[in-house]
Amino acid sequence: MPVVVDLYLHRQSWFHRADPRVKLLFVAASLVLLLVFKNIFIMLAALILLHLLHLSAHMPGEKFLFIWRTLLPVGIVMTVLWTLFYPTGNPILEFWVIKITPYAMVEGAVLGLRIMAMAFVVFAWLYSTDQPSLVRSLVKLKVPYEWGLVLALALRYIPTFQGMYEIISDAQQARGLDYSDATGYKRVRAMMPIFIAMIISSLRASDQLAKSLESRAFGAHGIRRTYIHDIHYRAADYFYTIILLLVVAVAIYMRIAYNFGIHPIRLL
Amino acid sequence: MASAPRLEIRDLWFDYEADTPVLRGVSLTIEPGEFVAVIGQNGSGKTTLVKHFNGLLRPHRGQVLLDNEDILHHSVGALARRVGYVFQNPDHQIFGATTHEEIAFGPVNFDLPEDEVEARTVDALESFRLTEYADVQPAMLGFGLRRKVSIAAVYAMQTPILILDEPTTGLDWKSTSELMQLIGELNRQGRTIILITHDMRVVAEYVPRCMVIRKGEVLIHDSTREVFRQAELLESTHIQVPQISQLGRRMVTLGLQDGILTVPEFCDAYNDLMSGT
Repeated sequence: MPVVVDLYLHRQSWFHRADPRVKLLFVAASLVLLLVFKNIFIMLAALILLHLLHLSAHMPGEKFLFIWRTLLPVGIVMTVLWTLFYPTGNPILEFWVIKITPYAMVEGAVLGLRIMAMAFVVFAWLYSTDQPSLVRSLVKLKVPYEWGLVLALALRYIPTFQGMYEIISDAQQARGLDYSDATGYKRVRAMMPIFIAMIISSLRASDQLAKSLESRAFGAHGIRRTYIHDIHYRAADYFYTIILLLVVAVAIYMRIAYNFGIHPIRLL
Repeated sequence: MASAPRLEIRDLWFDYEADTPVLRGVSLTIEPGEFVAVIGQNGSGKTTLVKHFNGLLRPHRGQVLLDNEDILHHSVGALARRVGYVFQNPDHQIFGATTHEEIAFGPVNFDLPEDEVEARTVDALESFRLTEYADVQPAMLGFGLRRKVSIAAVYAMQTPILILDEPTTGLDWKSTSELMQLIGELNRQGRTIILITHDMRVVAEYVPRCMVIRKGEVLIHDSTREVFRQAELLESTHIQVPQISQLGRRMVTLGLQDGILTVPEFCDAYNDLMSGT
C-alpha cells in the first residue's frame, strides 16, 4: 500500500529552484500582506495570484483540491461565525438576537478567503522545498540545527500521521466500530478508539525516531556538523528578494498613508 | 458462531494510482472451512487483495461475494460480524485501558448481551494465555504479547472468516508454534482462515492450502504440497520453500518420495527409502 511520506513534490520550476531562504521570505512577506489588508478584492486577487504561482510551479490539480477540500470548511465556518457575531451596519435580516448585515458578511468572507490564501502560501513553500533544504535555510538564518530539524520532522510527519489515521480507522472498523451515523459529541466519543491508538502509536514512533537519531550521533557534543549539500543565493534569488521587499514596503506605505485596502469593499 | 460463508472474487481490479493496477482481474473462490496461506513478494498485492474481503477496499471493477451476495453495499462495521481481520501492526488497533477492555471491544460493538461479551473475553484471554495480563494496559506489554492481544481481540469476535496479516512476524518459534496450533484449532471448528505470511516454514507445517500472488494476479491456488512442488514457478516470485523441502527435492533422484514439507515427513520418507519399502 503506498504511504505518503513527504509533502515535497519534485518538479523543475523557477519556484523550486529559488533559494529556500527566498521562499521563507516569500511566506513571511505574504502573511504580512494578507494580514495588513482587509479588502475582499485584494483577497480574491491574492488567491488568483497564488493559484497562478502553484500552476507555474507545476503543482498537480489534486494538490489544489486537497487544500480547498481541507480548508474550505474552516473558511465557511469563519465567514458564518463572523457574520452572526459581529454585525456592523444596517441589517438585511433580523431574528431573535441575530442580525445579518452585508458589511459583516463581506468582512466574514474576507477572513475566510484570507485563511485559504494563507494555506496556499504555506503549501507553496512546503510542496517546493525538500527537507534538507528547509533545514539548511533555517540554519543559515542562525536557527540551531536541532530546531530546524524538529520543524522539518514535524512537517514531514503530517502525511505519515494522516496515513496512520487511515490504517487505524480501518483496523477499528474491522472490529465492528461504526461511527458513520453518529454526529457531534457522539461521533467524537465513538472515534476515541481511533484517537487513543493514534496517540499511542505516535508516542511510540517519536520514541523510536529519537533513539534512532541519537544512535546515529545526532546531538553529539563537541562535534561540528558538516553538510553534503549547501545552498547559495543566485542572481535570480537577489532579484526575488528585492521584489518581495519592495512589494511589502509599497503595500505598507499605501496602507498607512492612504488607508488602502482597510475597507472590506472600497479600496481607498 | 454461524457457519462460514463461501467467499468468491470475480474479475477484481484495483489501483491506488491511475493506470498502475495493483490487482489485475483476480478471480478466486475460498470454500467454507478452507485454511489458506496467501504468499508472494512484497508489493505483489496480498494485503490489497484481502482488504477487499471485508470491505476495507472497494473494487474499481469486479465483485466480492459472500455466499453469492455482493458485499458492495455493506459497511466495514457490518461485515465485521462475518469477516475478522487482524492487522499487521498490533499498535494500529490497541487503545484499551486494560487487555480485558481491548478484547471486549469487538463483541461490545456487536451489541451482544453483557454475559456473552464477558464469556467471549474470558475465553479469548484463556486461549491466548493472557489471563494474567487482563488488568494490564496492553500498550505497555512487549511486542509479542501485544501481537497476541491484537489476535485475541479479533478471535473474541468469533467471525466465521478470519484474516490474519503476517501474524507471526516478530514472534519466536515457540510463540509462533502455539499461535499456529490455536489457529489450526479454530479452522478445525469450521472457521475459514486466510493467512498472509512470508514464513514458508509456517506454511509448510501448518497451512494445508496455498495461494501465490504475483504482480496482482493469482498464480496458483492449490494444496500446499502441490504448490511447493512447483519450484520453478515459485522461484519466479522469489519464494523459497523450506530447506527440508529443497533437500527432499534433491533426493528425489535417489528414490525419496516427492513433496516433502516437514522434518518428520522427511525422516519417514528417508526411513522408507533406507528400508527399501
